[in-house]
Amino acid sequence: MKVQRIGVLLIVLCLISISIVSTTLIRYEERKRARDMVDKGRYLVSLIALHSIKDFQGEKRSFFLRTLHDYISSEGLAYCLMHDHAGELFVSLDPYGLVSDIPQDVQLRSLHMTGLTHQTFHTNHPEGTIYEFAKSVFEDGQQAGIIRLGLRLLPVSLFSMERIGLLATIAFFIFAMVPFVFFGVKLALRPLKKLGLKIENMAGKPASAKEGKKKAPAVDDLIISLDRSLGLLRKKYKELETANIALEAKKGVVCYEKKQITQILDAVQYGITITDTQENVTHMNAHMLNLVNKELGDVVNRPLSEVLDHEAILTFVAQQEGVNQAATQRHIETTFPAVAPGETFQVALSYLSDKDGSITGKVISVKNVTTQKSVDKAKHEFVAHVAHELRAPLTTIKSYNEMLMDGEIRDLETQKEFYNTINQETDRLARLIENLLNMSKIEMGSLTIDRGLIKTDAFVKDCVAAIEAPAQKKHIAVEKKLPDKWPSLVGDKELLEVAMINVLGNAVKYSPDDSTITLSLREADHTIIFDVMDQGYGISEEDLNHIFDSFYRSSDPHISEQTGSGLGLAMTSEIIRLHSGHIEVQSTPGQGTHFSIRLPREDYQLGKQ
Amino acid sequence: MGNNKKILVIDDDAQIRRVVELKLKNRGYEVLMAMNGQEGVSLIKSQQPDAVVTDIVMPKLDGQTLCKQTNPLKKQRPFLTIVMTNRISPDDRNWVKDMQDTELMEKPFSPTRLLGCIDEYFRRSES
Repeated sequence: MKVQRIGVLLIVLCLISISIVSTTLIRYEERKRARDMVDKGRYLVSLIALHSIKDFQGEKRSFFLRTLHDYISSEGLAYCLMHDHAGELFVSLDPYGLVSDIPQDVQLRSLHMTGLTHQTFHTNHPEGTIYEFAKSVFEDGQQAGIIRLGLRLLPVSLFSMERIGLLATIAFFIFAMVPFVFFGVKLALRPLKKLGLKIENMAGKPASAKEGKKKAPAVDDLIISLDRSLGLLRKKYKELETANIALEAKKGVVCYEKKQITQILDAVQYGITITDTQENVTHMNAHMLNLVNKELGDVVNRPLSEVLDHEAILTFVAQQEGVNQAATQRHIETTFPAVAPGETFQVALSYLSDKDGSITGKVISVKNVTTQKSVDKAKHEFVAHVAHELRAPLTTIKSYNEMLMDGEIRDLETQKEFYNTINQETDRLARLIENLLNMSKIEMGSLTIDRGLIKTDAFVKDCVAAIEAPAQKKHIAVEKKLPDKWPSLVGDKELLEVAMINVLGNAVKYSPDDSTITLSLREADHTIIFDVMDQGYGISEEDLNHIFDSFYRSSDPHISEQTGSGLGLAMTSEIIRLHSGHIEVQSTPGQGTHFSIRLPREDYQLGKQ
Repeated sequence: MGNNKKILVIDDDAQIRRVVELKLKNRGYEVLMAMNGQEGVSLIKSQQPDAVVTDIVMPKLDGQTLCKQTNPLKKQRPFLTIVMTNRISPDDRNWVKDMQDTELMEKPFSPTRLLGCIDEYFRRSES
């Protein structure tokens, strides 16, 4: 708003002020006159009532009327009525013709009241409000008549000579104050303007310096600014409220995720310690807390060196400082003898970083590698063992073959012996590979049983044929005790043959020369039972406990002198188990061993697997 | 060639003993055989062979111990020891290095190469 407009506004305000003052004065004057009127009326009617009624009916009547007539214009007399004791009107001075307009109730009250009465009524005449005063006139104690006077209020002139001076003085002071008020308002509005600009700034609307200079401090500017700012603030508030809801939702998600992550960290079988860049612990999972034997509350926000009383790990973490951080694969192996005696732990350090790649903390993971190490050791031993077992027949095949090729073996009998040996060793190699594959399948759970009807006579014949050559070599007799009626067996012929040949082969291998091996077949309680008995070296009680373990080889010289993979009986037991049967062993060192294989008898159904 | 030379073959595997025996006998060497290290040490001491072919992994007494026990005998009467093993490890090379007239040979082996190795040793010792 411009300055001129404020001036105009002030002038209007001045005029309004003057009008209000004038009106107030007039009102005051009117009230004063009304009070004077009442006093005057009371006085006049009382004065007239002092006279006898007869005076107004006789010679004094004309004098009285003339006197009253003078009062009409100077004192505002509107009318004068006189009634005799009977109420008859005998004097009526009514210059404005108002008598007919006197309300009935006013008239009745004036006529019937004793003493002085004072009533007011309005007429449609220009005289406006009329004040009627009435008083009874008593003579000799009797009411002789009633005098009624009507007085009207004389109009108050605003511009009478005495008031013009007063008004001029007031107007002068009011107009004189205008410039003071103007500059006063201007000064008063300056902070308001600043406030307005600040509010706009607060609301997010940047006010340019130019705009700020141009604008004059004004209330409406401030109101507009406030209004605009309020609008912006409301918008801002809504935006903040929406953002707050989103933040609350995010906070909920973050809390949930944090809880989930904590649970996941607690579930892993690693000990995990997270620190900030100052190496103060920010989190430690349950596994790690167990290792350090502390509660979470005892470790959070405390230095790592205080929490982790483990010199090797602290040294390892310190050594990683300044080392190429990409090399997070570095680790050490250590122990926690107090908590986990005999176990080995692998400690690794990795770094946490933000989006910019700045390091925000460290993660120290502690993994129990005891089992892994023993598995690795077993794996290494297994590979070495398998390699040894594969090399043994290969060595024979290669050397025997070379002898034949070089023509070193001249006599036919020895040639035949060499060819047979090569053939046997090739079979041994093939069996070993087959056994390895089957063991691998068993361990992976992928060995499938190709069930079919097995005729036990053919089965026994094939199994015995497989061990015939080595048995003959050692002059071992294979005695068979077979039933008259051959039972039928349901199962995987090839796998069951592997199992049976392993048991028979062991009997040959671990029996002395010129001994006897007995194979019997019988049926009892829906079970087909194969018994293999030898007169061999027997098995010690300790070895009996491990005889079906993979790669187990006895330290007994009679056994360790013989070639063997340590897989045969482990696989035999698995094959029998897969056929829902079981294998038992009884042995007496120096006397012999008795293996018993029991398989359930099933009725073979075509198409059944 | 091979006359008057006595060679001891020590191996728990009868097939290996058999093939080495035939190869050496064909050349005219006298062949002695032992099934384990203990038996081998005993024969070295009693029969004083000119060369020994031994396996490492054997029952009762392994090839390494056998070498360590018989190595002092070589100071008075040198003889060749060929140690046959499935896989030559750095550890094997280390201990063999400290033994006198001892060589390593990996299995599967060539009988001809084994014989060549023995022949070469005798040639060198005679010249």
